[in-house]
Amino acid sequence: MWHKISWRLLRQELKRGELTIMAAAIVLSVTAVLSLSIFTERLQSGLMERSAEFLAADRVLSSRRTVDEAWLEKAHELNLNTARRVVFNSMAFAGDELALVDIKAVSSGYPLRGDLKTADQPYAEDQVTEGLPESGEAWVASALFQELNLKVGDTIDIGNSNFLVTRVLTYEPDVGFSVFTDSPNVLIRYADLDDTGLIQPGSRVRYHVLYAGAEEQLSEYESWLQPQLNEDTHNWRSIADGDAPLARSLRRAERFMMLASLLGVVLAATAVAVAAQRYCQRNYDVVAIFKTLGAGKRQIQRIFILHLLLLTVISIAIGLLLGWFIQAQVVNLVAERLGATLPQAGLTPYLLASATGFISAVMFTLYPLLRLVAIPPLRVLNRELTAANRLRWLHWVACGGTIYVLLLIYSQQWLLSTALFAGGALAAALLLVIGRLFIGASRRAGMQAGSAWRLAMAGLQRRAQANSVQMLSFSTAIMLLLLVLALRSELLEDWQRQLPDDAPNYFVVNVAEDDVQRLEQRLAERDIKANDMYPVVPGRMTAVNGVQVVDEVSKESKEDEGTDTKSDEVREGFGRELALTWRDELPPNNKILAGEWWGDNPAPQVSVEQGVAERMRLEIGDVLQFNIGGNEFEVPVTSIREVNWASIQPNFFMIFNTATLQDFPATYISSFTLEPERKSELYDLFKPFPQVSLIDLDALTDQLREVISQVSLAIGFVLILVLIAGVLVLLAQVQASMEERQQELVILRTLGAPAKLLSRSVTYEFLILGAISGLIATLAMELALWILQTQVFEMDASLHWRFWLVGPLAGALVVGIMGRLACGRLVRRNTAQLIRTLG
Amino acid sequence: MLIQTTQLEKKVQTSSGILHILQRIDLQITAGETVAIVGASGSGKSTLLSLLAGLDLASAGDVLIDNVKLSNLDEEQRAKLRADKIGFIFQSFLLIPSLTALENVMLPAELAGNRKAEQQARTLLQDVGLGERLTHYPNQLSGGEQQRVAIARAFVGTPKILFADEPTGNLDATTGHTIEDLLFEMNESSGTTLVMVTHNEQLADRCQRIFKMDAGSLTEVQKDVA
Repeated sequence: MWHKISWRLLRQELKRGELTIMAAAIVLSVTAVLSLSIFTERLQSGLMERSAEFLAADRVLSSRRTVDEAWLEKAHELNLNTARRVVFNSMAFAGDELALVDIKAVSSGYPLRGDLKTADQPYAEDQVTEGLPESGEAWVASALFQELNLKVGDTIDIGNSNFLVTRVLTYEPDVGFSVFTDSPNVLIRYADLDDTGLIQPGSRVRYHVLYAGAEEQLSEYESWLQPQLNEDTHNWRSIADGDAPLARSLRRAERFMMLASLLGVVLAATAVAVAAQRYCQRNYDVVAIFKTLGAGKRQIQRIFILHLLLLTVISIAIGLLLGWFIQAQVVNLVAERLGATLPQAGLTPYLLASATGFISAVMFTLYPLLRLVAIPPLRVLNRELTAANRLRWLHWVACGGTIYVLLLIYSQQWLLSTALFAGGALAAALLLVIGRLFIGASRRAGMQAGSAWRLAMAGLQRRAQANSVQMLSFSTAIMLLLLVLALRSELLEDWQRQLPDDAPNYFVVNVAEDDVQRLEQRLAERDIKANDMYPVVPGRMTAVNGVQVVDEVSKESKEDEGTDTKSDEVREGFGRELALTWRDELPPNNKILAGEWWGDNPAPQVSVEQGVAERMRLEIGDVLQFNIGGNEFEVPVTSIREVNWASIQPNFFMIFNTATLQDFPATYISSFTLEPERKSELYDLFKPFPQVSLIDLDALTDQLREVISQVSLAIGFVLILVLIAGVLVLLAQVQASMEERQQELVILRTLGAPAKLLSRSVTYEFLILGAISGLIATLAMELALWILQTQVFEMDASLHWRFWLVGPLAGALVVGIMGRLACGRLVRRNTAQLIRTLG
Repeated sequence: MLIQTTQLEKKVQTSSGILHILQRIDLQITAGETVAIVGASGSGKSTLLSLLAGLDLASAGDVLIDNVKLSNLDEEQRAKLRADKIGFIFQSFLLIPSLTALENVMLPAELAGNRKAEQQARTLLQDVGLGERLTHYPNQLSGGEQQRVAIARAFVGTPKILFADEPTGNLDATTGHTIEDLLFEMNESSGTTLVMVTHNEQLADRCQRIFKMDAGSLTEVQKDVA
């Protein structure tokens, strides 16, 4: 019988809208978690897929020696796709011309991720191309056509073999971005490699195996493979490993989405908590009546537990539907706007969302429900009676524990969850104290104000206890909203800085000193704006503080002899020539970490990139020896620089002051922007400069832009969800506090207070509450943002002055309007009706 | 004896010491009687009613309902006793706002596990003249109509005892009279014992016995037979 009563109560209360806020809170928490996690998962795997294109695979094993076939067989057993790639430099000949080229020999299947693009003619419009050159054929980069004076259909000689040039190679997904080390590329078949006779012991060759497949199998393979890898010989990479151009942006986006989603979950959970409290309070009378009419405690427990469970299950179901629908819409939007399809998500988000809804509903209602069931029947005669407040600590433990568990379930990172939770708890305590102080101060300020203001101030003061709790939830909601908003614009600006709209899309390399002026003039004639010319001097670093650095090859041979090479004194060199440059000014996107930039000081000195300094254990004051074209010289390290490798500009490991390097013969590099439709002009433009190499960055920047706009869109979506969650918390809180004010309003109304005075005083009260909450929220937001920016996002912290205005204003406005609306409904009803609602 | 109290006391601790709300009350009511308890506000009438109905526990003394000592029962058992034997009518009606008139009336019968709850509730609502308003919610009914629903609800479990706390206190005189008539008619036809707390002397006069509560002490008022 009790289940009938329970169902009937639920049906009727749903119909009459009495459970709307509670249901909406659960629905929202489920919707938010589901859509966020599905969308994040789909977007992440989409981004991973896109980013994997930069590797042409999901994982890459690089090796100095050929990779054992058994390792590939194991991968096949795990249903992973593999391809081999061998990269080395060699000379290519065509008639009398010769050029240094990067040869890439690949097996079928390459690229496992992303596409190759080719064209019929050099610098012509390209298209995605399936398959690879046939055996005996080569696809060759546009620049080589220039250098070797080639046409499609000619042959080139490489080692002992000759290859028929069948297409122009315009884009390889894994080409990376390095303007110095890459000579024009030649793509041939892996099977043709042996016949060239170029791979000899001691040749500088990189062997790669590319892997692609499901993440689970990849991880399994990885754990099988890792113990067999030799740190010196092998290198195992995925896109997340940091040197990929997008890795940093992706990591940040991922962290942001995770954080924003967590905040969304906390907000939604808070809404559930507020609504649950109210849900139970509303039912105090009902329980007292039930008990008077003969319902036992157990019966009431069953009725209300079932009631709540039914409500939760229905709300979860609606939340799942809604969440699925919303993410599908957003995914469609992404697909439409960006022409990308996102992979499907698994079951996990559905489980996660249902669990969130269920856990929040049950745990937040636990204590209010205990109190509800304990309501004495005598309340029917004495309406002031409530249940004893003995187990209040249980409520705080249940709520705190639930939020922590939700954070943990969602992030699966206990450190992040604990930090957020502890920070949040501390902030909450602070907010409570500050809120009380503010209310006290505003009471004094309000004494001189007009009657509606005075009433509002008196109200604020009288309800100080309740108000500071309300203010806590207002402030939390506003703070989290501001936080997500501020963080979003910080991230977007940061990415924008990294990839400005006018980022160059072409690099010219190998410009002879004599040609610099001519080239600049020619570009200017065609109205193409070129950026700074950087001189480049190829040179080797040979010693540090008088001790020779060890070259790769010799190191390997020592290793073969079983010599321990890891002594502190031995440093591994680059094993190749470096692109050295000189410059008076610190390049943009570089930051001095240690030492000082030279300015006008003519004494010989060099500035070293941070990563190189770490790897080679270089410090300020160390003396490096370089060999440039047989000339050896020494130079002290005077600064260590951080370089933003994600920026599209020439970046250098070693920068010298002008006096040190300027007498060495140099070639120059520069970059410029050219609209895609003017691509055909390039051939003519560079014809007089046969030795100049041109690097096309369009594909790379397009890919970066696409990923960034996907992420921006995702962040916008997260923001909207968090916004809805925030508004719901505010709404639930205003509703709840309006009920507390109801009795007082009724009395004032009965005593003849005009509706205008009442609604004004309530509006003012909420305006003040909102403004104070907004101000506190801004304060807390700045603090939280500072911690997040410096600790989580590796960004520079900054103050956000506009939020100091936006926070209190928006707080006052939103909370004020909500209060006004809620109060408006109350004062519109006639006094008799109001008295009746109070019983 | 259907209702019996012996030396019933209720004390509460206040900041200024112990407050005696009820003092040594002895009361016997036999089945079928109609009893009014009158007295000034704060005299302890409602407290006595809450102790008689087992809504609250006495500080000393005993309440026996149908020979069952309430102090021997736990809260669960007292609820069961109310479900089986007691009906209530309150001044503020105390209907459940989210349930319709019919559902409100069915509630006590359903709580007692009565499978014919709906049928009985329909009949009772017909009897109180609300046969056409079954699906209305309390806020769609006038005060008088709400009290009729409450009366129907009070009788649905065929209780032995009906406790009424100022049943016409929230109603205008005309509606009040109609409700009084209805209450006494239904009480008579079902043979219920009625214990009513009221200020209304005229209403009290319609009861067979009248008790006066004064500062926690109860004395029976001899009715003017003339």
